[in-house]
Amino acid sequence: MDFEFSQDQMALRELARELLTERCTSAHVRAMMEDPAGYDPALYRQMGDMSLLGLAIPEQYGGSGLGMVEQAIVLEEMGRVAYPGPFVAGVVLAATGIQASGDEAAMARYLPCLATGELTMSFALLEDAIGWGPEVVAMRAVPAGDGFVLSGTKRFVPFGATADVILVVASTGDGPGDVSLFAVPRETPGLTVEPYGMFDLNAKTCALHFDAVRLPGDALIGDLNGGAAALDAVVQRGAVAACAEMLGCARKSLEMSVAYAKVRKQFGQPIGSFQAIKHKCAEMLEATENAHSATYYAAWALDAGAPDARLAVSVAKSFVNEAARKVCGEAIQVHGGIGFTWEYDLHLYFKRAKHLEPLWGDTAWHRERVLEEVLAGRVAGAAAGR
Amino acid sequence: MDLYYTREDEEFRARVRAWLEANLPREKLETLEQQRAWHRAVYEAGFIGMGWPVEYGGRAARPMEQAIVGEEFARVNAPPTLNGLGIAIVGPTLIHHGTEAQKRRFLKPMLTADEIWCQLYSEPNAGSDLASLRTRAELVGDHFVINGQKVWTSGAHRADWGLMLARTDPDAPKHLGISCILVDMHAPGVEVRPLRQLSGSNEFSEVFFTDVRVPAEHLVGELNAGWQIAQTTLSYERGGNTLSRVSRQLALFHRLLQVASRLERDGRRAIDDPVVRQKLGQMYTEIEVLRYGSLRILSRLEKGIRPGPESSITKLYYSEMDKRHQELVLEILGPYGQLIEGAPSAYALQDGVAYGEPGSWAYGFAYSRAGTIYAGSSEIQKNILGERVLGLPKELRADRMQAHPATQAQAGGEGGA
Ligand SMILES: Cc1cc2nc3c(=O)[nH]c(=O)nc-3n(C[C@H](O)[C@H](O)[C@H](O)COP(=O)(O)OP(=O)(O)OC[C@H]3O[C@@H](n4cnc5c(N)ncnc54)[C@H](O)[C@@H]3O)c2cc1C
Repeated sequence: MDFEFSQDQMALRELARELLTERCTSAHVRAMMEDPAGYDPALYRQMGDMSLLGLAIPEQYGGSGLGMVEQAIVLEEMGRVAYPGPFVAGVVLAATGIQASGDEAAMARYLPCLATGELTMSFALLEDAIGWGPEVVAMRAVPAGDGFVLSGTKRFVPFGATADVILVVASTGDGPGDVSLFAVPRETPGLTVEPYGMFDLNAKTCALHFDAVRLPGDALIGDLNGGAAALDAVVQRGAVAACAEMLGCARKSLEMSVAYAKVRKQFGQPIGSFQAIKHKCAEMLEATENAHSATYYAAWALDAGAPDARLAVSVAKSFVNEAARKVCGEAIQVHGGIGFTWEYDLHLYFKRAKHLEPLWGDTAWHRERVLEEVLAGRVAGAAAGR
Repeated sequence: MDLYYTREDEEFRARVRAWLEANLPREKLETLEQQRAWHRAVYEAGFIGMGWPVEYGGRAARPMEQAIVGEEFARVNAPPTLNGLGIAIVGPTLIHHGTEAQKRRFLKPMLTADEIWCQLYSEPNAGSDLASLRTRAELVGDHFVINGQKVWTSGAHRADWGLMLARTDPDAPKHLGISCILVDMHAPGVEVRPLRQLSGSNEFSEVFFTDVRVPAEHLVGELNAGWQIAQTTLSYERGGNTLSRVSRQLALFHRLLQVASRLERDGRRAIDDPVVRQKLGQMYTEIEVLRYGSLRILSRLEKGIRPGPESSITKLYYSEMDKRHQELVLEILGPYGQLIEGAPSAYALQDGVAYGEPGSWAYGFAYSRAGTIYAGSSEIQKNILGERVLGLPKELRADRMQAHPATQAQAGGEGGA
């Protein structure tokens, strides 16, 4: 039993923190709000050079062969600075989809350039309906000659406007679970991008309109109608990635609040000496530490293939959703008026956490899954009930 | 990070389970004699005072082994052993601060529960502000003479000995005039008056001391150094074994799930109501988070890192969570949750439980209100987290403004036994 980070993991955290402190300043984040691409490709490539992109990619495909824990460590650092960029879209969502598809040709084709940062990818699941299983997929991929034709609209595609290739989930059979994955270059004729503006201006997403887009046969990733398992893996890892980023947002908001409560004086004393503020900070600390435990337990459980991995992911997402919302929100209260200004950075974390809350399962969705996992007995060995 | 139990831990767990299967009492333990026999059996199996050094009758067991025992005993709802307070708090206090003679005299019978201990800290006017206690211990020749009153003393009615904080120097600033003394509860002048608790049981008492003579060699540590000693004992209390709490919460959850699968509410089984399902999912989530946090503390303990003030996070989280969960139980079960006599087996937590005895839903609900008061109330935990972990400035307090300058340095100390 060892819940502490290893030396290597601590070094990774330092590396990510140094890079992001220097390159992802508040000024940079704010500049990216206005930028149509929404991120700095040079910084992204630098992450590739520093082996941050390929952390969870197998060594044979040019990665480091590590896992979700290491990705979570980097993502927590990204949350701390509200990093804008296609990291999650590419090296968490798309890379997981490709690896979980078991398609070795696709892995050899895409993973090495995802690891270097030469290639950016995204993942397109949602359409009009919201949901996280194959049953929400209405878009059909109709066989045509050697290939397929895709029609319909995908929504909320993260950094989809700039991704070189988009991994699209489409329905290919008659059953509700009969979905398949397709790798679609953004430049494919018939595919148009409609950029969205989100409340978090740094969370670039878009709609992708598919107007009878013709794809060759090798666009299919994995088996025909075999996409549900890969989608499931993407949802699991996407949820934990969101937790890690939300945790970073919470941790930063807590630190800023405590620092402010020590120096801001009212009624002749630092506001941190008032219990109403002190106790709020204590509760924020409690929520943040618990969010840390939940996030890293889940990340570890996924990497280890633990019997309670699905349970742990749903515990983490439902818990961290609420913890981060509380901490980032209360930070504004602790700051008073200045916390409500655009100038001050708190809203960056507040909005990022809010952005991630509904993604890859909101609180209610994951609570239901927690109960299902428990009823099915898929809990940790030693914790099994009577 | 590696959150699997080691092979060694798993083997140890299997041994504990096997022992429990063979030895768990089938019948309820009614008398103190029966409880003593059970305690003795657990002690002889090596599961009591496990963390204590071998020379004092312990096993020098790893924190993980202790946690596994706590977890497994709670999992099967084993009857409590005796003298929990003595073994968790008084024993470690003596091991750290006691004289060799005190250790030889007291530790063994403490472990075997031949002598039962209580904790004489709180007074009518000294609760959270423990350092303002007034019970007086005056050194007269080779004896202390003790006068005063303690209150909320758990287990006082069956205790043989008490670990007392008393004022030995009334002129010193409040934190500097307190000593830690071992008091014979059978000595002349000690009067225990049981108090009935909200739960219906008589577990705590008020204790009066009138000219009680205590030999000077029962002083623990230096004279007037009792406050420091109490701080270390309070941290044992708060760092406590949370995995056994996880097990107890899980047992509660699984029984609630069973009952919710039978109980019809508004034309359907409770478990089929999406609102109930959401709340059950949340309850389990919160228990799992406690489990993860406990593993995190354990993994640090295994590396020899003692939890500091951050152990307040676990105490705060657990006790507040327990209140929410017990409220949820009563919400889902409606009037069945409050039924004590005549509760149908299908809907009861346990059968045949009398008012004021553990084992009914309502008793758990009642008790959850105590968890956020004893061992430092939630408000005190938040002060500790805010001031000692986050470093926020202390609040302005009347006692700090008036007192001796030396008190200011000392006054981190809020207590609550
Ligand atoms: C079931 C049970 C068993 C117990 N067993 C023992 C025992 O065995 N031995 C023993 O010595 N004691 C025991 N206690 C006593 C316990 O330690 C005290 O009740 C506790 O320390 C609180 O003190 P008090 O009751 O005087 O409440 P008070 O200290 O008067 O507190 C009343 C309220 O004021 C709040 N408050 C107090 N100070 C502050 C502050 N600075 N900031 C914000 N809020 C504050 C408290 O949080 C609480 O909500 C037990 C209590 C219970 C309920």
